[in-house]
Amino acid sequence: MSRKTERLVNLTIALLATKRYITKSEIFRTVDGYEGADDSKERMFERDKDDLRNLGIEIEVGTFDPLFEDESGYRIKPENYQFQLGEVDAQEIALLSLAAEAWRGASMAPSALSALNKLHAIGIESDTELLLNFAPAIISQDKNLAVAISAITSKTVLSFSYLSETLQPESRALEAYAVTSRYGHWYIFGNDLDRKALRVFRLDRISGDLKLQGRSGSYEIPLDVDVDSAFAKPSGLLKATLFLRDGRGLNLRSRGVEIKGGRAPLGWQEYELEYRDHERFVEEVLWYGSDVIVSEPLSLRDEIIAHLKSGVVKYG
Amino acid sequence: MAKPQSTPVEKAARLLDLVPFISTHQGIALTDLAREFSLTESELLSDLNTLWMCGLPGYTPLELIDLDFESGYVSIRNAEVLQRVRLLTKQELVIILLGLDILANSLDAERSDLLEAISQLISRIKNIVGNVATAMPIVDSSHRAAIGQAIKSRKDLLINYHSTIRDTVTERTITPLEISLDHGFEVLHAYCQSAAGFRTFRLDNMKSVTISTLSVATPKMADLPGFESGFESGFEWDLLISSRFRTSSERFRATYQARESAKAERITVSSFSQDWLLRNAVSTLTSVEVLTPVSARALIAEKCRQSLELYETWAFSK
Repeated sequence: MSRKTERLVNLTIALLATKRYITKSEIFRTVDGYEGADDSKERMFERDKDDLRNLGIEIEVGTFDPLFEDESGYRIKPENYQFQLGEVDAQEIALLSLAAEAWRGASMAPSALSALNKLHAIGIESDTELLLNFAPAIISQDKNLAVAISAITSKTVLSFSYLSETLQPESRALEAYAVTSRYGHWYIFGNDLDRKALRVFRLDRISGDLKLQGRSGSYEIPLDVDVDSAFAKPSGLLKATLFLRDGRGLNLRSRGVEIKGGRAPLGWQEYELEYRDHERFVEEVLWYGSDVIVSEPLSLRDEIIAHLKSGVVKYG
Repeated sequence: MAKPQSTPVEKAARLLDLVPFISTHQGIALTDLAREFSLTESELLSDLNTLWMCGLPGYTPLELIDLDFESGYVSIRNAEVLQRVRLLTKQELVIILLGLDILANSLDAERSDLLEAISQLISRIKNIVGNVATAMPIVDSSHRAAIGQAIKSRKDLLINYHSTIRDTVTERTITPLEISLDHGFEVLHAYCQSAAGFRTFRLDNMKSVTISTLSVATPKMADLPGFESGFESGFEWDLLISSRFRTSSERFRATYQARESAKAERITVSSFSQDWLLRNAVSTLTSVEVLTPVSARALIAEKCRQSLELYETWAFSK
């Protein structure tokens, strides 16, 4: 096991130290750890290149003289190897570390630890006062999140089974563009290849594992991708006027506008609200029981009354 | 952070990170270095012994990395090639981007200095990976930090708490015990001085959190009378879901899985709060029927009647 580790480190050092491209035969001759028959050395080298690439280390391939078809050579350009966020100060190190620390215990913890090691290696002491006053935490135990992020960074199509409202599994293929966390849930946003449209999926509604499908780099993420737009207030929202009992319906109050001097009886206030999903809104109003009464529209009011009457019949 | 057994590739990555770290921390104690990299001391020694065998082609003492760690303190020479800190992978950049976004979105506007610094870092990262990740936190990170500090320093907390079940906001003095996860949401187990009992508070429902100036002798959780039963005495209900399966299951926080038929399904749900179950039952009148307990059915009917009466009174009638 340590032979493989040693070989990868030695290969990195050799390719990073060289100013010219070095050929495969030079590598096999001079870098420690390439042993055995030619084809096994070839296989070893191909695997090592892939492993380094997965660590984010790009090996550049080139020839000594572009006019002649020489044997290809390899090297790692220092600028492609080194920390790419430029100069960072103590405050920035603290912020970047806090951002990585936020994943403590979550599904991406190994990547976060590796990022933290690199940040510490920069050798600038971080601003510890900052670390004390803020404790961001990212809550995700879902291993599908790591696959989703990997699909986005490698631009590989994702396939998965999504549970509909009736809990029927639906097969989906998605060019993933972005992930986002909202309302305590994780969502993945992208181009749904079957529906041929932009779609958002809640990660915890995916049945089973997300799977990477096909080659990496198989699509481009549009430059103007805007995951927030998928959650923006749509036009054509529905409107309702509600009576809210004093001090109750707190979530509704925070989303609505009070109609001052309205028709609310003593001990109540009248609020106007906008909503998107009719069925969800009906359920929300019912949730508050006798603390929230619908005033308008009449159709919504009648619907709520009908539900309540059906409740009395069912349970009475 | 929990760390699984390293693969040879992970170990190689760590060695590449150890070199610049030791270079900027010459003479660091083995124990400190192990802690920095979340390793045991023997794992670290194994890493250092491997690194010792690495260097430039030739691999004579002139080319090999020169490490000294026998004294218990680590120093490094002859490792100029690897002294650069490795670049962050795209995966690492995305998770840092999410962490920064969470942080920025939970800071007060008055911390404009930090907001500006975060926004610059975010734009530097987005230049590399694109606008591929955003996060809106539901918990204020300064609240979480205050809770952590209070637990550590054995102080009480004053909180302004929005109980979504009771639909009220109350001020409480609590003795914080432990943060954990409940159905994917962060909760604080605490002794509520105001209610004189153990309570569980969702962090995202805390409107403000202030550390009390008074120290308390925080009792050990296991020693607290009724601790085991204090949080989750529960109510268990049997339901029949006939439509809106996903929404109804989520509302009752029941786990669900793919189903082939569209037939009604019987499930059992539980909660420490009967009021929460009742509210959910009234909310899902058309898609869910509560089968047992029978006493719950009578309570739901009563709740429906109370609302209907209001719709029929002159003040609300049309």
